[in-house]
Amino acid sequence: MSAPLTLEKNNLKLGFVALLDCAPLVVAREKGFFKKHGLNVVLCKESSWASIRDKVSFGLYDGAHMLAPMPLASTLGLNGNKTPMLTALALSQNGTAITLSLEFYTLLSKSIADWKDTSSVGAEFKKQVKNSKVKPVIATVYPYSNHHYLLRYWLEQQGINAETDVQLIAAPPTHMIPSLSNGAIDGYCVGEPWNSLALIQQIGGLLTTGHEIWGAHMEKVLGVTQEWANAHPNSHKALVNALYEACQWAEDSANKEELFQLLALPPYLDQAATQLANYTPPLAMEQHFAGKHVNVPDPKQGEFLLGQMLDCGQLSDTDNPADFATISRTVYRQDLFQKWVS
Amino acid sequence: MNRLNVLLIDDEPERVQALKEALHSLGHHVVCQLPNTTHLNKRVEDTHPDIVIIDMDSPNRDTLESMSTMSKNNPRPIVFFAEQQNDRKTMSDAINAGVSAYISDGLQPDRVKAIMDTAIAHFDAHSSLRAELEKAKTQLADRKVIERAKGMLMKHQGCDEKQAFETLRKLAMDRGQKLPDVAQSVIDVLELTNGLSK
Repeated sequence: MSAPLTLEKNNLKLGFVALLDCAPLVVAREKGFFKKHGLNVVLCKESSWASIRDKVSFGLYDGAHMLAPMPLASTLGLNGNKTPMLTALALSQNGTAITLSLEFYTLLSKSIADWKDTSSVGAEFKKQVKNSKVKPVIATVYPYSNHHYLLRYWLEQQGINAETDVQLIAAPPTHMIPSLSNGAIDGYCVGEPWNSLALIQQIGGLLTTGHEIWGAHMEKVLGVTQEWANAHPNSHKALVNALYEACQWAEDSANKEELFQLLALPPYLDQAATQLANYTPPLAMEQHFAGKHVNVPDPKQGEFLLGQMLDCGQLSDTDNPADFATISRTVYRQDLFQKWVS
Repeated sequence: MNRLNVLLIDDEPERVQALKEALHSLGHHVVCQLPNTTHLNKRVEDTHPDIVIIDMDSPNRDTLESMSTMSKNNPRPIVFFAEQQNDRKTMSDAINAGVSAYISDGLQPDRVKAIMDTAIAHFDAHSSLRAELEKAKTQLADRKVIERAKGMLMKHQGCDEKQAFETLRKLAMDRGQKLPDVAQSVIDVLELTNGLSK
C-alpha cells in the first residue's frame, strides 16, 4: 500500500454540456465518487462547446466533459485560443446517430427492404438526395466533433458531395427537434438524447448510427489543459479514478433507473431525461460508459481524428501527417490512464 | 472612418438597449439583435457584420463557429476574436464578463478593441444588476420561493449564489417557464430527492 497522495487542489470546477454522456460526471458527484477520492467538485452546465473550450483554456474550469476531438483542436489552435490540452480518460463510447425527418424517412422506407443492409440504405438515400428538388438540409452542432466528421464520412462513402448535393448547416441541439418537425431541416447528426427523443416523439426515423459508420470509437473525454495537468498531477489522478469508477456504475444496467433519476435533476438534463427513463435506445447506438477499451484515450483514434480534420479542410495541406502520431500521443494520454487506473 | 457594423445577439433587453446606445455613441452601427434566432446562418450572411457580439451563455456560439468551417462557400468568414488576438487580458476579461465576439476575417484587431472594452463594461455592470432587476420585477411571495430554491440548489450543487441563480434562469429559458414556477418545481424535486436518499 502506498501512502495517500496529497492533492494539490481539492475544490474543482468542471464544465459539462447536458447530453446523456455527461452521466459519469453526474454520477461521480451524486454517488460520492468525487468525495471518496478527496475532491469537492462543482459541476457547471454550459450551453455551447465553444464556452467549454474557452472556460477551460482560461482556467475558469479545472476541466470538462469534452468532445473527443476538442483537446486536439485546442492544442493545434484550430479554433479559439491555442491552448495545449490533454485527456487521460475517455468518458464514453459511441452514442451518435443520424436521424431523418419523418417525411424524408417515410419516403426512403418505401424503397428499403432491409434496414440492416447498410449499402442498399446508402444507395437509396443517395438516389433520394439526387432526386430532391431542393437540396436536403442536414444539421450538426459543432465543427470539431465526431458528429460533423461522421456525417461527412458517411455522405462521402455513399458518393454524396457534402458541398453540392446537400446543405450542411449548424444549429444548437435544443433547436434540432423543433426544426425537424417543422420541416426547416431534413435530418441531423447529433449525440444522445436527441436521436432517441425524436424517435420517442415520433417525429423522426433513424438512418444510421456512428457505431455502424466507424465501429467503436471514443465520444466524450475528460479534457484538461496541459498546464493544469502538470501543476496538479495528484488531483488529476484522483479525478480520473473517481470518474472511472462512475463510468463503471453508469454502465451497470442494474443502476439504470437510478441513473435516469439523477440525470433528470434540474441542474443536469432536467425534463429531457425523464422521457428516456423507460426507453430502450436502438441497439445499433451501442453507447457505453465502460467495458473493454471504452475508457482508454487511444492515440490511434486521435490520429484517425486528425485524418478527418484533414479530409474536411480543417487542417491545411501543409500540415505534415507524419507528425500526427506525435501530436496525438501528447493529447491522448493512454500512458497516464494505464499508470493510474489499475 | 471607423464605423463598423455590429451584430448583437443577446436576449436580455436591458443589456441590449444599453450596449446598443453605447456603441452608437462610439459611431458604430448596430445591425440587429436576435433573441433566440433560428435562422442565424442566413441572418449573418444577409447583414454582413464586421463584428458579432454574443452572450457566452448562448447556444448559438457553436452555430457561429460552425459557419466558418462548414461551408467553403461562406462569402465572409468570421473568426473567433481570440484567433486574431494576442491580448490574453482582454480575452480573460471578456470570458469573465460573459462576452464573446467574432470578427470578420481581415479586420484590424485594434479597431475591435474599443468595442470589446465597451461590451465587457456593460456585461459586467449588468451582471451585478441582474439579481436586483429580477427582484424589482417579482412579487414578494415569488421572491421567497426563488430564494428558497436558490438556497437548496447551493446546498445540493455545492455552488455559490450566482451559479444557483444562473441555473434557475437557464432552466426558465429552456423550459419556457416563469422563474417562480421553475423555482417551485426545483424545490419539489430536490425535497423528494433528499427524502429518498437521506
